[in-house]
Amino acid sequence: MNPVEQLARTPRAAVEFANILLTQNDAAVGLSPKDPVWTHRKTTLYRYRSENRKHQVPVLLVFALINRPDIFDLRPGNSFVEFLLSEGFDVFLIDWGYPEEEDSEMGLEEYVCDELHWGIREVLRASGQDEVTLLGWCIGGTLSLIYAGWQPDNAVRNMALLTTPVDTHGSLYGTWVAPDSFDVDYVADGYKAIPGQAIDWANKLMKPVTNYWTTYRRLWEGVLAGQARRAAFQPMARWVADNPPFPARAYRDWITSMYKENSLVRGRMRLRRRRVDLSKVTQSLLVVTAGADHIAPPQGTKPLLGLVASEDVTCIDRPGGHIGLMAGSKAREEIWPDIVQWLAQRS
Amino acid sequence: MADDRRSSPTEDVQRLYEDAEKRTAQAFEEVVSRGSFGELLARMTENVVGLTKIGTDAFDLILRNLRLAGRSDVTRLARQLGRTEDKLELLLQEVERLQETLEEPGQTGRGSGRRSTPSSRGNRGSSSNGRQRSSGSTRGSRASK
Repeated sequence: MNPVEQLARTPRAAVEFANILLTQNDAAVGLSPKDPVWTHRKTTLYRYRSENRKHQVPVLLVFALINRPDIFDLRPGNSFVEFLLSEGFDVFLIDWGYPEEEDSEMGLEEYVCDELHWGIREVLRASGQDEVTLLGWCIGGTLSLIYAGWQPDNAVRNMALLTTPVDTHGSLYGTWVAPDSFDVDYVADGYKAIPGQAIDWANKLMKPVTNYWTTYRRLWEGVLAGQARRAAFQPMARWVADNPPFPARAYRDWITSMYKENSLVRGRMRLRRRRVDLSKVTQSLLVVTAGADHIAPPQGTKPLLGLVASEDVTCIDRPGGHIGLMAGSKAREEIWPDIVQWLAQRS
Repeated sequence: MADDRRSSPTEDVQRLYEDAEKRTAQAFEEVVSRGSFGELLARMTENVVGLTKIGTDAFDLILRNLRLAGRSDVTRLARQLGRTEDKLELLLQEVERLQETLEEPGQTGRGSGRRSTPSSRGNRGSSSNGRQRSSGSTRGSRASK
């Protein structure tokens, strides 16, 4: 495209660019049909509709306490849930909802020992099966792992952990929040529910130029060249901007135990007076890491492999980012089939 | 043969710009990864929290003096509701456990999340909260929030 042509296209591209950004919150996400099975407080357990359930062991998707689990089911044609359903899995999702100030007492104990524990029970009830596969992503993976270590006599047969923080020593987030200069108690007392936008801002600040500039520059270039993929950009942008608050106690627990004390890998984490013992984790384990993950870098996840007692352990290390690995345009070809194959052999 | 295709000035500019952007991104990432930046961030966060607290407290005081319900009142009520829901959930679980014990005296309940046998579970469900009941019929609607 020559400069004159580029100049002539600019006004139209500017309108299109603005339109994409201004209407991104209207993009439809999480469209796969599902039914609520159980609710408690803000937590809802969903079961996705399917007439093609081939595998016996149901899969329970567990997402982080930040952002929404819609990333599992981003848009038709690029939905991990859709992919799992098409492969014959019985898929459940535990959705933590939008916690508010009244949920400030919800800590890791409540999420792991109550919500997740009860959610698994309801999955077994609804599916009529004895065992379940936990598929956790980001903090959701850590919660699943904590659960397996806290309750060794559980119904979890397999665990798939995607870009999951385990050992936070030396991580960027740890550099920010682990020192005493970051007073997590003051923050948690000040906000009963930590605003999701603040968490999002901190996450974006890890790669400020990429997140605040390059993303939009690339979109602009795509629009100018007439190649912008609105259908791909908008659902992801909407998901990124959809940030539920983080309940104060859970935030305090998370920062203190995972970053300040790094207690999960040290074997010092306790929930309801019971130790979270990773050496009692015996499930078949799939660990997926992303090479360019700045939130849960591979070196912060892989120590897990030496801590668990599982005999069936698979580690997949791929290039990609924290979210892009699983929700990017190449995920359907590059990572989902591997995960599904691993699950199918154990379900 | 060497590469015959020579890049245009526009492409050169584009490449130079992208190089510069990449270097800037790396420089920023280096800046934010320093401990001193973490300290600055911690202070900034405390300032924001402090300001928010002052603002919220002042606003709450105004509402209280006007005898109007404020956010804290709504939160208190919602919290009480949450605790009641917790108790209800525990009660339901206890009822289910008792029901299972009554229905199948050979089996004893071991608590939630256990590895129960298919025969003890099947399509059984509890009485409310969107769970489906056993004995063929489905009672109640799907859970709604």
